[in-house]
Amino acid sequence: MNRVELMSPAGSFESLQAAIQGGADAVYFGIEQLNMRARSSNNFSIDDLASIHELCANKKIKTYLTLNTILYDHDISLMKRIINSAKDNHIDAIIASDQSVLVYAKKIKIPVHLSTQANISNIESVLFYSEYVDAIVLARELSLSQVTAIVKQIKKQNIKGPSGELMKIEIFAHGALCMAISGKCYMSLHTNFASANRGACIQNCRRSYIVKDKEEEIEFEIDNEYIMSSKDLCTIDFLDKIISTGVNILKIEGRGRSADYVYTTTKCYREAIDAYFKGSYNKESIISWKKQLETVFNRGFWSGYYLGKKMGEWTDEYGSKATLRKKYIGKGLKYYDKKKAAEFKLEAHQLIKGDSVLITGPTTGVISVQVEELRVDNSPVLSVQKGNIFTMSLKEKIRPSDKLYKVEEKNII
Amino acid sequence: MIRIIQQRKKCIGCNACVEAFSSRWSMSRKDGKSVLIGGHKKKEIVSIIVGDDEYKENVKAATNCPVNIIKIIKL
Ligand code: SF4
Repeated sequence: MNRVELMSPAGSFESLQAAIQGGADAVYFGIEQLNMRARSSNNFSIDDLASIHELCANKKIKTYLTLNTILYDHDISLMKRIINSAKDNHIDAIIASDQSVLVYAKKIKIPVHLSTQANISNIESVLFYSEYVDAIVLARELSLSQVTAIVKQIKKQNIKGPSGELMKIEIFAHGALCMAISGKCYMSLHTNFASANRGACIQNCRRSYIVKDKEEEIEFEIDNEYIMSSKDLCTIDFLDKIISTGVNILKIEGRGRSADYVYTTTKCYREAIDAYFKGSYNKESIISWKKQLETVFNRGFWSGYYLGKKMGEWTDEYGSKATLRKKYIGKGLKYYDKKKAAEFKLEAHQLIKGDSVLITGPTTGVISVQVEELRVDNSPVLSVQKGNIFTMSLKEKIRPSDKLYKVEEKNII
Repeated sequence: MIRIIQQRKKCIGCNACVEAFSSRWSMSRKDGKSVLIGGHKKKEIVSIIVGDDEYKENVKAATNCPVNIIKIIKL
């Protein structure tokens, strides 16, 4: 059986490093405003393409550029400029849904993955798009048996993309789901003029609502349910079934998420995929992966539409259910190679020997450790206070651009 | 008089400001972002001072902007 490719989100250089450290086979990212995270301030610019390619090519990681918003006439020249630049910088493929992108990418011969925004749900549509794309991200609302049937038909009908290779199928393995068919939601546009299809979704669905009886104006608060806020997709406990469908690529959602989220999710799915192919995918590991996944941002997990049973599961809480919370406490200053010690400035709270910390940065990626030794002015101390400059022993190198976080269990904060 | 300010770098090119008042806003075909017609650029900020007669339309542009990067100040 073919190995599946694990694709992770990279919304920043930090997350990109985290994806690499976690063991991703491929990363996807957006540049400028023509992607579904246009609102995020983290987007890369055209000028970053060369460094992204260099970082990934060194580790043999594939790079995919998302350009999947609805496009207007005034966007066409920017779209072409982005694609030209992607081609010049050896980006492996463009993730797109608008036909103008498919046509232009084909013209200049850069592969395309059809975005989930195109909601492909049947084999005829796969056939239709095979003239332009080499991979298709299926609609997130399909069941696994529907996915399997599509994969089988691709082989049976020998459907190939422009590259001449059999059409690849990609599905989402983990992350946020949309309450509507992906992208086909106009709520944010109605309330705030902010089109989800231009990457500006304000996420009305994640809030709680009151229902009002029009006649008597009585208001009901909908008890403890965020009725439109879907729980997050998690497939780690049935990844064997996912891989058995024959899909080629598994994607983790979350270009808006932090580096530690990207690291943890990538690492868990990396281990799970490898375990599956080694024959060591088992219950104990699943429990441990799930625990780790629960430590980073999540709205509670469900299996999405894959298992075809429930229609939707809604979260009962606003925001994240992550069992761990991180708070910013300081920044990196220097690394002493010989002593293997990292120097930081504590800018908030206090840090005590034994605390768990997280260090993230655009080159460092993510380091997660327990503080074993703290020193101020070279003398060991038990704790450091706001304003202190201190060192801690650390095997990995840190840099002045790094941020230091204290990690605590959620209920302590 | 009013001052119109736009943080152009953050524009997502949605066209809403142009729909609100196309005499003052237009879409650039070069970078797909909106242009404050007649505006002066200083670092990342584009601004212009115009007469009160444009107040209503530009407030509409500012209100409709999904990323809140347009500000209208009464002078
Ligand atoms: S409304 Fe705002 S985001 Fe949309 S084009 Fe105008 S300035 Fe840009």
